[in-house]
Amino acid sequence: MPPSQLKQLKASLRDSGVVGPQQSKKQKRQNAKTGAAAQNRNQRNAALQAIRDRFNPFEIKVPAARSKFEATTRDGNSTNATRNNRPGVTKSLGEERRRATLLQEMNSRNRVGGLVDRRFGENDPTMTPEERAAERFARESQKKMRKESMFNLEEEEEEFTLTHMGQNLAFDEANRDDFEMGEMGNDMKGEDSDDEETRKRKRFIDEDADEGDYVYDPDAEDQPDRKKSKAEVMKEVIAKSKFYKQERQKAKDDDDDLRDELDQELPDLFEALRGMKVPAKPEPVQQDLDTMNPERAAMLQGPEKTDTEKQYDQRIKQLTFDARSAPTDRTKTEEEKIEEEAERLKKLEENRLKRMRGEQVSDEEDNEEDNDSFMQDDDESEIDDATAFGLPTYEPREELAVEDEDDFVIDDDLVETRSNASLDMDGSDMEEEDLSDDDESEQSEQEDELINGMSLPAASAASTAVAANQTSDGKLAFTYPCPDDHEAFLDLIKGVPSQDVAIVVQRIRALHHPRLHPDNKAKLGRFAEILIEHVSYMANEDEELSFALMENILRHVHSLAKTHPMNVVMAFRARLREISNDRPLNLLPGDLAILTGISTVFPTSDHFHAVSTPAHLCIARFLGQCSANTLSDFATGAFATSLFLQYQAVAKRYMPEFINYVLNALCNLAPTEPTAKLGFFPSRKCQESVRLSPSKKVTPRKLQFRDITASPSDSQAEEELKISLVTTFVSLLDTASDLWAEKSAFTEIFTPVQAILNDLKQSFKSKTFSAARDPIQSTLDKIASHLDKARLTRRPLLLHDHRPLAIKSAIPKFEENFNPDKHYDPDRERAEANRLRADIKREKKGAMRELRKDASFVAREKLREKKERDSEYEKKYKRLVAEIQNEEGRAANDYEREKRGRQGKR
Amino acid sequence: MPAAVDASKKRKSIKNAGAPSKRRAVAEDDFADTLSTIEKLETEIAEGRKHYNNIATLISMLNVDKAAKNPDLAVAVSLCRVFSRLMATGTFVESSRAAENEKIITAWLKERCLEYQRALLVIMREGDTTSQITALTLSMRIIKERITHIPGADNNVWSTSFKDIVEAVIEAHDGQDLQTEFITKFLKEFEDVRYHAFGQISEYAAIRRSSDVLDSLTTILSACDDVPAEGHKFKNFFATPTATNKRITSVNSHKKRAQEAWLAILRNDLSQAQRKNLLRIMVHHIEPWFTRPELLMDFLTDSYNAGGATSLLALSGLFYLIQEKNLDYPQFYTKLYSLLDADLLHSKHRSRFFRLMNTFLASTHLPAALMASFIKKLARLALNAPPSAIVVIVPFMYNIFKSHPTCSFMMHRVINDKELAAEIEAEGMDDPFDPTEKDPTRTGAIESSLWEIETLQSHYHPNVASIARIISEQFTKQHYNLEDFLDHTYQGMVTQELGTGERPLKKTPVVEYQIPKRIFTDRMLEEDGGVDSGPGSFMRGLWEFS
Repeated sequence: MPPSQLKQLKASLRDSGVVGPQQSKKQKRQNAKTGAAAQNRNQRNAALQAIRDRFNPFEIKVPAARSKFEATTRDGNSTNATRNNRPGVTKSLGEERRRATLLQEMNSRNRVGGLVDRRFGENDPTMTPEERAAERFARESQKKMRKESMFNLEEEEEEFTLTHMGQNLAFDEANRDDFEMGEMGNDMKGEDSDDEETRKRKRFIDEDADEGDYVYDPDAEDQPDRKKSKAEVMKEVIAKSKFYKQERQKAKDDDDDLRDELDQELPDLFEALRGMKVPAKPEPVQQDLDTMNPERAAMLQGPEKTDTEKQYDQRIKQLTFDARSAPTDRTKTEEEKIEEEAERLKKLEENRLKRMRGEQVSDEEDNEEDNDSFMQDDDESEIDDATAFGLPTYEPREELAVEDEDDFVIDDDLVETRSNASLDMDGSDMEEEDLSDDDESEQSEQEDELINGMSLPAASAASTAVAANQTSDGKLAFTYPCPDDHEAFLDLIKGVPSQDVAIVVQRIRALHHPRLHPDNKAKLGRFAEILIEHVSYMANEDEELSFALMENILRHVHSLAKTHPMNVVMAFRARLREISNDRPLNLLPGDLAILTGISTVFPTSDHFHAVSTPAHLCIARFLGQCSANTLSDFATGAFATSLFLQYQAVAKRYMPEFINYVLNALCNLAPTEPTAKLGFFPSRKCQESVRLSPSKKVTPRKLQFRDITASPSDSQAEEELKISLVTTFVSLLDTASDLWAEKSAFTEIFTPVQAILNDLKQSFKSKTFSAARDPIQSTLDKIASHLDKARLTRRPLLLHDHRPLAIKSAIPKFEENFNPDKHYDPDRERAEANRLRADIKREKKGAMRELRKDASFVAREKLREKKERDSEYEKKYKRLVAEIQNEEGRAANDYEREKRGRQGKR
Repeated sequence: MPAAVDASKKRKSIKNAGAPSKRRAVAEDDFADTLSTIEKLETEIAEGRKHYNNIATLISMLNVDKAAKNPDLAVAVSLCRVFSRLMATGTFVESSRAAENEKIITAWLKERCLEYQRALLVIMREGDTTSQITALTLSMRIIKERITHIPGADNNVWSTSFKDIVEAVIEAHDGQDLQTEFITKFLKEFEDVRYHAFGQISEYAAIRRSSDVLDSLTTILSACDDVPAEGHKFKNFFATPTATNKRITSVNSHKKRAQEAWLAILRNDLSQAQRKNLLRIMVHHIEPWFTRPELLMDFLTDSYNAGGATSLLALSGLFYLIQEKNLDYPQFYTKLYSLLDADLLHSKHRSRFFRLMNTFLASTHLPAALMASFIKKLARLALNAPPSAIVVIVPFMYNIFKSHPTCSFMMHRVINDKELAAEIEAEGMDDPFDPTEKDPTRTGAIESSLWEIETLQSHYHPNVASIARIISEQFTKQHYNLEDFLDHTYQGMVTQELGTGERPLKKTPVVEYQIPKRIFTDRMLEEDGGVDSGPGSFMRGLWEFS
């Protein structure tokens, strides 16, 4: 049996050190000095509280089941929480809170009005009174500091005026001046008005004097009857300063008015001085018409005046909503401009190099994506291995450097006029500029025409106009419709001499500049496509192919590509598609022209490019699979191979088909068949021999584009073409050896080349080939030196200097302090969702509990109220009953008495 | 009705005069006349033997002249009917008790029947397509009737009449349709026809034949590709066989006949193209028929030794023999290695070869030096290969590197020997690989490095370049599925880049930022001081544009 409560209490008091052996006085003193006493007291209070709690078992909630054995998986927090549960306390707290909030609400239900305490922090229990006071003070001062209205004149004087004995110190002088000025002003106004005012003011002061709302009275100073209080003095001063301020403002306004008036009369004055009459003012509107915005001019000239005004009003209103113009950049000096341009070009070049290496140019995110796409082959789930590579790598994009988008001037050197469109292209830069100026004036002329006449002529009208123009005096028309397809364009330039087509193109571009009409952008895009079609058409069809014109058109295409990249790209791709579908193995001259165009319009060095990559493939396919039987086939091949080298002039990529084709061609063209097999390239024999077999001496010449189509006239010309082809191929090999000198497999690539060239040299021993021997020898020398260098620089490959891969760990991931109540979900989203769901559940439970408690509280309160009401009623009822009974009793008594009296009387 | 048309045509050619309408009327009349005559003759034959002479009349009416261009098919059909009827009534059956004149009549009829059959054969050989087919149908019909109604005649019929038919079919002039008809209607339908056809063909092909004939033989034989499985029950008979003939119902004898037929063809004098064609169908059409595939050995080894594409094609058949029949082929890998020549990667059998080579080199027990030789040789070839071949080679190498880690020195070789390192540093090095060595174990390839593939990392096609790059990245992937890389072509690659239609690109491609001053001409050359540099100067230097 446990000891009794009293004994337990005593024991616990002793244990916690609340009671103990009495301390000596010395000790007490010492404790008081060191502050240990206070600490002891605190400790004792805490201990007492703990003891009290322990001895009041009803305050603490005992867990329903006995606590279980300690186990690692048990939640430590929850057991602690149950031990500290004190339902009584929480319940009473909740009750208290409800009484403060819910009960208030209940009581104030169905009530209107009442007082709301809006003092700051009044009902905020978290604030101490000191804090509250401090906060209020801060707010008040802030409010004062804020300048609420620009007409509020008070504060400065109120705040910062220094006084001494009621006198203003700082602004004494100024006040005086003001005062004197005021006096003067009054004087100027005249006597009677002054009197009047004085009187009025006096009355006003008399009326309001007791309220203490002072208005300055100039006469007040003259009556120093009684000593003024400090506050009064202050107010006076304030009022005074306000008054003077007003006066000053008014005087200034008057002055301004007067000055304006005088300014207006000044011309008249001059006139009077000169003694001449002013001519009637010219109407400004007429004069400005040319220079002003045409829209506005039209508006001003419009018949409806009221309409104009209305529009004007509208404009004004719109203007109020206009954004404020931001300051523009400083105008740059010439050097800065040059420097900037150089900087820009450098950046573009850097970007190009980056694209060449297949890196990303602008956005970092793409970079990551890109890496992902390259790393995909790690992915086990990849179904098709090849797609990982076959997928087009992300093509780099770069902000287009559009210079001519908003400039009306087309790239300067694209502007051709008749004189320099002709074939002698010796116009210097200066000339060119002049010409372009001319052109602009032409354009303005055109615009004038447009303004005077109708708007843009309809297509049919224009074409007839064109015809008319051309037939009448052979001059070009100024306006051309933008053609919709190639046939229309051909119609348009029918009869135009080929050197003038450039001008036509340029005029179409100028006339349909995107700034002139919103539709023009699309039209010009279409026009760019037509131009591309025209290039291939020209190369295919034109007997007298003008390369100057083709070059011009290609440059136009290039310039259009900057503004309409998609149109141009799609058009080029369409041509390439046509090539690969219809004639992959016999390229037409037009196709070669298109491929040449691609080499100038697009960066062919890019790792991946939507146009140049397929163009490469087209060339490679042609070189790899075409049948070379005739000389013109070989000429086409020579063109394609040289195009390829030009494509790779910067990036220096390797093309197996190039080497195969060139070596094959050389084997086929050589005067004697090579004796042994010379390399790993597959040899293809021509069906009929195209070997060199000249009777006379032949000299190589420069190949012509025409050789692709035309067949040589006689056998001598044929031999000449053959030897030129040989020399061209040899020089191509020369260039290729330069390009690929750095490649690690240079030796493997060029050893067969060397063998074949040697063979060729042997077979060129005859005197007839003496002219061709030198280039072969020089190429051989160069290749030999390159081979030597390649041998010197050859090292075993070291491709796998990677950091060794970590061995995949199969150890499960251990959690250091594993807590079974926590969720270690690797899927973050799911974990988050679960957490939220648990939160919702908990909150919902809490809210329901609270609501239930609220409801019971409300019910209890209602019951209490009802009981109160009932008991009151009961009380009242009882009182009334008692009263009545009283009265009845008295009446009964009276009656009894009366009765008795009467009986007594009897 | 083709016969009718032919008849009318014939008439037309005879009587060319007269107005068109009249002529047509006359022609129709004539045609009707002929039909009625034929009908009359036919019914008379049916009435009794005294009208048997009508058969001779009909045969003469068949009008098989030298050209056999315009046989009267109506007559042929009616004759067929007549003979069938006669056979059905048993007139052809010769009984020993029969009277002398009966025998004479039977013999006469048999003679007429043979005559008729000969006429049909002539039509088959020389006639136009329609009559050829009709003649084939009719003669097969007669065969059927003879077998069913004349007891004990089947062996004789198959070995004589049918032999003639097969020969006629094979040798027919313009016989494509006839052969197709024969194949679809008879050869594939009826198993006994096929059986006997095999026999006839093997006999026929025992002698040297012209290449056209061999072609058609190959066509006919390769059409029979549904090899009966073991325990197959033969049901589709053209003519129900006699119970005594066991062989026609056994799978083995069928196969044996087919095997003989094929062997006869293979032993014949084949052209290169035919040989290739046969090799191409070897695995799927020929080998299944063979109960003793080793009989193919000579043909296959001969083909394999022939070199070039023929060798490539022979590989698969040879592999089948090696695998199934324990064929021992000495120097197999040396031979395989020798197949890696300049044309291999450009050949259209490339993917076929790679599939097989993948199988041959799959073993991890092959010596590393051998594998290295294959790798190095392929790398060499890749320097002159089309992109579609490079795309196969590199993953193939990757797989080999994975299974033969010793070979990976070819990608990464650290030289630990100080002296050697210094020497290389000073003088560079040659490729230790000897491309002319025939023996793949002695090429020294394992001492070499794959500079070729490293060079191909800067291939002009970005996808090829990135595939070539896998050998310099970490080998994290277990294995590349070679099948995914095999069948790429230029056309496929171009289509992949360009798409089939106008679909807008996701990103705007970059445009060269600088517009060149000149492309073809010497425009504004003075500005650059007369020296043509800048983009495109290379082209302008080589070519003259005027």
